[in-house]
Amino acid sequence: MIVFKQTSIGYQNALIGVHELSLPSKKMYALIGRNGSGKSTLLKTIIGQIPAISGDISIYGSSVQELYKIHQKRSEKVAFVSSMFMGVDMLTLNEYVGLGRIPQLGNLGRMQKEDHQIVQEVLEKLKIIDLQGHYTSQLSDGERQLASLARAMVQDTPLLVLDEPTSFLDVFNKSLLLEQLEDWVSHKDGRTVIFSSHDLENCIEKEIPTLVLANRALQLFEKPTKLQVMELLQEDNNQF
Amino acid sequence: MKRRHTFLIVFFITLLIILSLIHINVLQKSTEDLQQLIFWEFKVPRLLSALLAGAGLSISGLLMQNLFQNPMAGPYVLGINSAASLFIAIMVLGVAPSFWGVFSYVGAAMCGAFISASLMFVVSRRVQNLQSLLVIGLMFASFMGAFESILQSFASPEQVKQIYIWNMGSLQQLSADQVPWFMFFVLAGISLCFPVIKALNAFVLGELHAAQLGISVKKIRIILLLIAALLAGSITAFCGPIAFVGLAIPNLTRALLKTQDHLILILFTALIGSIFLLVVDSMILILDPWISLPLNVLTAGLGAPYVAYLMLKSK
Repeated sequence: MIVFKQTSIGYQNALIGVHELSLPSKKMYALIGRNGSGKSTLLKTIIGQIPAISGDISIYGSSVQELYKIHQKRSEKVAFVSSMFMGVDMLTLNEYVGLGRIPQLGNLGRMQKEDHQIVQEVLEKLKIIDLQGHYTSQLSDGERQLASLARAMVQDTPLLVLDEPTSFLDVFNKSLLLEQLEDWVSHKDGRTVIFSSHDLENCIEKEIPTLVLANRALQLFEKPTKLQVMELLQEDNNQF
Repeated sequence: MKRRHTFLIVFFITLLIILSLIHINVLQKSTEDLQQLIFWEFKVPRLLSALLAGAGLSISGLLMQNLFQNPMAGPYVLGINSAASLFIAIMVLGVAPSFWGVFSYVGAAMCGAFISASLMFVVSRRVQNLQSLLVIGLMFASFMGAFESILQSFASPEQVKQIYIWNMGSLQQLSADQVPWFMFFVLAGISLCFPVIKALNAFVLGELHAAQLGISVKKIRIILLLIAALLAGSITAFCGPIAFVGLAIPNLTRALLKTQDHLILILFTALIGSIFLLVVDSMILILDPWISLPLNVLTAGLGAPYVAYLMLKSK
């Protein structure tokens, strides 16, 4: 469960204000907004990278202000997939995904049997297990995007935040990703996914609950219709 | 650790032992009584210098490359050694009083190394491409060198000679009574790496992602700078500024081991660094009857082309 309480979000000046909003668990939410509407800033605040200016967001019982300060705690609550992972020389896909287990490891960073097992399971689910020996710097953009998702999934946090996760994926991988996220949130402990996207049609078609960021406010549509959302987005002329 | 790694560890340790035996037997034979003295006063300190300096400088380079997110980083090319040597020159010239003998040199070198490493770290966050950092490091090193030259103009001929010889880099300056201290500084630096291995692995993804993975980025940053300065500073104080080892060896190790797991990288970087300096110093000893080569001539001769190759490949 994620709860916004009188939250104002931004750097020095508030870009977005969210008065009251609750996002129940076991669901994935799409975040839609125009360029420059503050999507990235909102995501950065939710994952604890920048503090909220005032108010608070509760993420599975922890305040984001606390997550901002205490990195260890942050790693237990939220995993993040950025829009672009460029790959690292000499870092294999298997090693890269294994880095998601870091919060659970000791100072020497040794993975145990069960850590390896978790990595293998996720690689299999995302159908990139055959690539596990390849260097991340030599994968295609789409393969890297799936690898980043795998890394975040093995972190095993209640909240997973993704910044435009489908931008480099083909049609098949796009539906694979949504399918896997759907499966991931249905976990018995109750998990949540928030991903930013420009693909409104897809959200409507798949009936994904959609957070629309427009006019400095955040609004949740359980079953978005094109008319509703387009109207809101068209009104939004607050370009920052 | 995989089977391949175990095999390579055994291989490199065996190689290290064989090379150490060769190294220690190269020095000319003399009479029985002198033998004993030469063994403990010259051969052993020189052998240990090569092993420790090779391992320490390479690990210092590995840490800097990790922290700076730049495979072209290293204590020599970024002017860290030059700053350490400037601080030592200040000591030699007695600008600052030297109360504690060898400690004042080591302390000065470490301060110089830490200050310059921190400065270069700040700079590295502002430059985008890999090669710009090298250019700025070169500028910084020449700037430090210029300062040192100005200082030398105030020095006596004896002092100038002392600084000049020291600047050539050498593994024979270490005296038997300094050996325990040198071992202490370098081994302390290397041991301090082990508690931060997890953080080093996370830093491969950049500080942003490391923070998301629960790493206290600010704390680790300072720890890494301190360890790198401790290693580069103490080695520079005892052996002079040794060129290119810190940059080339970690790159060679990564290419050979094909991993970003820093436990493996630290072990192998140390081994390969030691082996490299042993080979270089053995060459110096073998060639000594005909030509006396300074250490840096050989490390740069072998290291610089490799670094140039890396730069060409990275395009």
